[in-house]
Amino acid sequence: MHLVIRGLFKTYPNGTRAVNGVSLDIPRGMFGLLGPNGAGKSTLMRIIATLQDPDEGSIHLGDLDVVRQKHEVRRTLGYLPQSFGFHPKVRAERLLDHFAVLKGIAEPGVRRDVVESLLRQTNLWDVRGQKIGTFSGGMRQRFGVAVALLGNPTLIIVDEPTAGLDPAERVRFLNLLGEIGEDSVVILSTHIVEDVEELCSRVAIIDGGEILLEAEPSRAIEELRGRIWRRTVGRDELPALERELAVISTRMLAGRTIVHVHAEALPGAGFEPVEPDLKDVYFSVMAGLHGRRAPAPVARAAS
Amino acid sequence: MRLREVFRYELTHRLRSPSTWIYALFLFGVAFLMIHIQADGDGLVQINAPEQVALGSLIAGMVGLLVSAGLFGDAAVRDLEAGMDPLLFTSPLRKIEYLGGRFLAALTVNAVILIAVPLGLVAASHMPYLEAAAFGPFRPIAYVQGYLLFLLPNVVLGGTVLFTIAVLARQVIPVYLGAISIFIGYLFGVSILSQTDHAMLALLGDPIGASSLNAMTQYWAEAERNTRLVGFPPNLVINRLFWLTVAAGAFAGLLRRFRFAHPDVGGGRGRPRRAEMEAPMVRRDRVAIPRVAGTFSARTTARQALSVARNAIAEVVPTRVFAVVLLGCVGLTMLFGWDVGSSVFDTSTWPVTVLVIETVLNTPITPIFYLLTTVYAGELVWKERDVGVAEIADAAPVRGGIVLLGRFLALVVILAMIHGAIMVSGMLIQALQGYYRFEVGLYLRILLGLHLIDGVLLAALAMTIHVIVNQKYLGHLIALMALLHPVIVGESGLVRHHLLLYGTDPGWTYSDMNGFGGFIGPYIWFKLYWAAWALLLAVLATLFLVRGHQPGVRRRLTQARARFAGPVARVAGVAAVLIVALGSAIFYNTNVLNAHVAPDAQGGPQAEYERRYKQFEHTPQPAIAAADLRIEIYPDEPAADLTGSYRLVNRTDTAIDSVHVSFVDPNVEARSIAFDRSASPVLEDRETSYRIYALERPLEPGESLRLRFDVAFRPRGFPNSAIQTDVVGNGARFNRSWLPVVGYQRAFELADDEARSRFGLGPREALPNPAEVGAGRYRLDRLDADLVDVSMVIGTSADQTAITPGVLRRSWTENGRRYFHYETDTPISFGGTVFSAGYAVREDRWNDVALSVYHHPAHPWTLDATIRSMKASLEYFTEQFGPYRERQLRVVEFPRYGGFGVAHPHTIAFSEDYFLSRVRDGEIDQAFYGTAHEVAHQWWGGQVRGATARGHGLLTESLANYSAMMVTEKTFGPEVGRRVYDFQMNRYLGGRASQSREAPLLEVEDQPYLAYRKGAIALYTLQERIGEERVNGALRRYLEKFGGGGGLHPTSLDLYAELRAVTPDTLHPLLTDLFETITLWDVRATRAEAAPTGTGAYRLTLDVVGRKVRADSVGNETEVPMDELVEIGVFAPGEGAALGEPLHLQRHRIRSGVQTITVTVPRPPGRAGVDPYRRLIDRDWGNNMLEVRE
Repeated sequence: MHLVIRGLFKTYPNGTRAVNGVSLDIPRGMFGLLGPNGAGKSTLMRIIATLQDPDEGSIHLGDLDVVRQKHEVRRTLGYLPQSFGFHPKVRAERLLDHFAVLKGIAEPGVRRDVVESLLRQTNLWDVRGQKIGTFSGGMRQRFGVAVALLGNPTLIIVDEPTAGLDPAERVRFLNLLGEIGEDSVVILSTHIVEDVEELCSRVAIIDGGEILLEAEPSRAIEELRGRIWRRTVGRDELPALERELAVISTRMLAGRTIVHVHAEALPGAGFEPVEPDLKDVYFSVMAGLHGRRAPAPVARAAS
Repeated sequence: MRLREVFRYELTHRLRSPSTWIYALFLFGVAFLMIHIQADGDGLVQINAPEQVALGSLIAGMVGLLVSAGLFGDAAVRDLEAGMDPLLFTSPLRKIEYLGGRFLAALTVNAVILIAVPLGLVAASHMPYLEAAAFGPFRPIAYVQGYLLFLLPNVVLGGTVLFTIAVLARQVIPVYLGAISIFIGYLFGVSILSQTDHAMLALLGDPIGASSLNAMTQYWAEAERNTRLVGFPPNLVINRLFWLTVAAGAFAGLLRRFRFAHPDVGGGRGRPRRAEMEAPMVRRDRVAIPRVAGTFSARTTARQALSVARNAIAEVVPTRVFAVVLLGCVGLTMLFGWDVGSSVFDTSTWPVTVLVIETVLNTPITPIFYLLTTVYAGELVWKERDVGVAEIADAAPVRGGIVLLGRFLALVVILAMIHGAIMVSGMLIQALQGYYRFEVGLYLRILLGLHLIDGVLLAALAMTIHVIVNQKYLGHLIALMALLHPVIVGESGLVRHHLLLYGTDPGWTYSDMNGFGGFIGPYIWFKLYWAAWALLLAVLATLFLVRGHQPGVRRRLTQARARFAGPVARVAGVAAVLIVALGSAIFYNTNVLNAHVAPDAQGGPQAEYERRYKQFEHTPQPAIAAADLRIEIYPDEPAADLTGSYRLVNRTDTAIDSVHVSFVDPNVEARSIAFDRSASPVLEDRETSYRIYALERPLEPGESLRLRFDVAFRPRGFPNSAIQTDVVGNGARFNRSWLPVVGYQRAFELADDEARSRFGLGPREALPNPAEVGAGRYRLDRLDADLVDVSMVIGTSADQTAITPGVLRRSWTENGRRYFHYETDTPISFGGTVFSAGYAVREDRWNDVALSVYHHPAHPWTLDATIRSMKASLEYFTEQFGPYRERQLRVVEFPRYGGFGVAHPHTIAFSEDYFLSRVRDGEIDQAFYGTAHEVAHQWWGGQVRGATARGHGLLTESLANYSAMMVTEKTFGPEVGRRVYDFQMNRYLGGRASQSREAPLLEVEDQPYLAYRKGAIALYTLQERIGEERVNGALRRYLEKFGGGGGLHPTSLDLYAELRAVTPDTLHPLLTDLFETITLWDVRATRAEAAPTGTGAYRLTLDVVGRKVRADSVGNETEVPMDELVEIGVFAPGEGAALGEPLHLQRHRIRSGVQTITVTVPRPPGRAGVDPYRRLIDRDWGNNMLEVRE
């Protein structure tokens, strides 16, 4: 199973180019789609999830044409949208059972087993008789995962699943995803770099509807090695620094500002090299210093 | 300041939203169409008369409540739906600013778009294709009044209520329920208020202002309606102010109750909701997820559909709103079904199952079905998107068609539950009224069968529209209009064919006697045809179902094109084939086997008949002297054969050389016509079925010949409407119109002037004036027979009894069929009416007259009253007027396809409904009264048959009604007599306000409200003034003169001469007022003061105003001097509105203008006034009596 996206375009009636020429190859395993809010992630997710038609381009899941064979794709699709709700008055077990039927698990006995194991897996078994309206955000999210996992999907799409979860919830949730993502194509869209770092074997960074980088996280980090420098600065020094150097990120630590700078060589006094992480990759890409938006390395060498 | 910002924000939002302008367009359309429907009527009142404009504004405003529901509901709920409430509710807004701003903005917008109503009314009145004569001059002020008096106040009131509901309920459905309850509350209010005597309650009780308007204009005659402006009468203004205050109060209550809070906390009523709970994700065990992939077979598909349905039901049914809906249905059923079938004289009937169902389904509950179907269809289409589960569900491997099917099933279940609620409450009504024949099977067949099928078809339409429109509020509006379109279009008369009006059928009537009869077959054909259309609609919905994010019309179209493949295309194909096949089959029945006549072609053959053969109207023709008939009825076919002969006698004084024979009913087929002397056809007109035979040897005066004929009634297939009920399984009834008619008959000419002009005929020749006719040879009805000797053998199925006027000579069984031979002792008016059904018989005797009641075995309730009435009537009429000339008198029941009673010679026919009536406390015994009326026709219309001239109705219906009133009063006492009198009076005054032009009684034409009502009032009043003996004596002399079958046919003037002869000269002016003119009185008391005389008695001073007017035929009034004796009454204090014991009751001379009357009464008076029992024809009766002041 392998998802192939070629030349995908989507423009909204108001002129927004949500997806602008995206081509991706997504193999089995967890695939992270990283990008800021409004980057076009959700549109791309929905297009892959058969809920929106692209203006141009093609998507294939194995032999299936996702744009044209929607129904066939849905048979093997698990989708957890960015925001969703459930009928508040219906009990959890009843609702999961309903979705199981929708996903084609028609045999009552089999269905009971599937529903039970998914509820156990998502730790909702004890509250299976409760109405969904009484669930907390995390429980609702887990319930959403349970729905997405019904029917042994080979393509799982989870859109910003950790937004709004507390840190502990988030960790557990990602573990759950990691466990189930081994045999399927799992696309995890997020703006939280750590999510991807911890789980994904491949990552794509998207902004303005374009894929700026597609790589294995470790390799992307490797490419940056020796180019990221750190320095702690006072607040008044920052503007000057930003003018002179390629500052990719700043963050506060105990009242001081820590600056990460992208540079081929030591940018100046007080800087120390840092071991880059995926965040540095992300910020470098977003700052146009790395990936497709970056000037060609040849040109840079000439300067 | 902040209020202004909230207001401005909401207003801008509303004005930018296209739905606002669509609402305006909708209101414009409603008003516009209303004029068209009115213009189709026969109204004499101008369509744009001020009173009509007021009424139109009012009704359009009621329809506009739906728009208000959308506007106010949206204004109240939008923030919550958008999830903006936490932001707003935590801002420093105050409640008054938030709610007030929203409310005022919605109100402003609504008030502005309501202007579309007067605009629509005006625009429609100026459409060039509408008949200009139907409209009066354009009076702008009338529209302004309608807007200010009705549209605006009602939207303030309605908007407040709807807004309050929406804010408190935080949902949309209750808002629509609120709109419909306002509407129903209003209808119910009107019916309650019309019965109340409590002036204040009547004034203030109606929130819409309709009763006030109606009370003011109900007795306005045509001329008044056309010219009088409604104005701003104090009563109406007080009513309006009162209800505006109520609205303000409701809003104040809302402000108190509303909390800026999350619904879970601020909800208030009901038990507190559970707080959110938490189940932390602690991994205790590792569970492998079973790798079960979906299997997709037909079975899965079915399960998916059912699961969707089950889930949708689980979301709708357990809600509080739905409980309210069901309870509401129970409540409304009880409310509207309680007085089942209040018929003539407002007498109640037994709550027989079919009546309960019909009463409930045909009442204002009907709009609820449409509304609930619309709202729940929308709810089911939108639910997933509303709760946010749509993206997940849309990505599931379920075909769009299956999702729709599931939701549709849920909608069907919801509708079935509503019908179930109606059924339960129907039985509750029956049980509470002491009626225990529940007929559960009938309930199921009508409610969960026929009516639910209609509902299911409409549900399919509503869902399709919601899917396609894809905008909730607009969807509600469009769906509702779509559901109503068969009603509206059908009403307008533009399209009549049921192949063209979605979901419709030729209609059905259930009869206890005959069940669903021949209605059920055509019903099924049409429903199958429409079900095929519904299937096509389902395909359409599947094509346009929105899954995921697919904005834009073009994308939806592209998608629809892409989806049109595979099973969807195949279903569309099947639907198309079914539509064509079923449609063709139906078309073959309705248009080939039967003639479907377009509305404007109706009456064509009649027009041709007149155009071609009117020339023969006065050509001498022989008259039928004897009829010898053999009639075979085949109830199960259904079919009938009519063979036999007439003996025709030349009663003229010239020789007749040709005989004209025609058949007036196009549904019978004349197989043969022959004479017993050689005659040759010289004309055979198939189109109008008119034939002329030339006799080889002319028929000399006094000579007779025999005309033989063979006629067959063989209905084929079924028509588009008016399914035949003449020959049915149980309860056949037909008459002479199937038999040949001799000579040209005026009675068959086209009567309706509008239809006549369509076929190029001038207005119908008026009936002759009675003064021109004199007591002479003219007869009403058909001229080919007066009194006829009839011998008739009727054959019918073995389990039925056949009846026709005449004496039963013999009855026998032959070839498994029963035969009855009837023969007349003396010649009778020849109506040829035949009945056949499985009857039970109640028999009795009065002197040597055999009395019998042939009735449906399950209808025993009125038999005693009927027999009692037959006896009392025979007794009184024989004693007062003259002998009854027959040896038997029968009453026969026939199915309720026609709802009336009719008198044939010694045979009275009543439709089923008469046999269901019952008498409760204070009600008039309808069975008794109706029977007395028809028995009286044995004299009036039977023994004396009037001439063909104006005033004929006075000689039949007036006399019969007068006679029935007298018998009823003699039997039940003066209290009941007064009630009958009041009933006649209200019907007369109501009739003259709403119906055709008025004429003096002596010249009454086809105006039942005069012939029945005013005639009875006039004769009864005369009887009160000059005495029963004198009036009855006059009638006796009239009967002696014209009764005995001597061929003398009187006119109204002959009767009037007898009445004048017994009336003293001093009362001749009264005769003139009652019979020769249209006279109305207006008497009132303006002061009633009492002072003790010191001797225990009281001296009462009463100011009385008298006024008397004469009206012309359209109601233009001229005042004439009044100077006559009128009752003055002083009464002891009574209970409630009832008058106490009379302390003084005497006629005093009352003249035009004010006069003071003083009387002394022995005890303290309670009420006093003029004409306490409404002896005068006085429209404004409420001001006759006053409370006496000390």
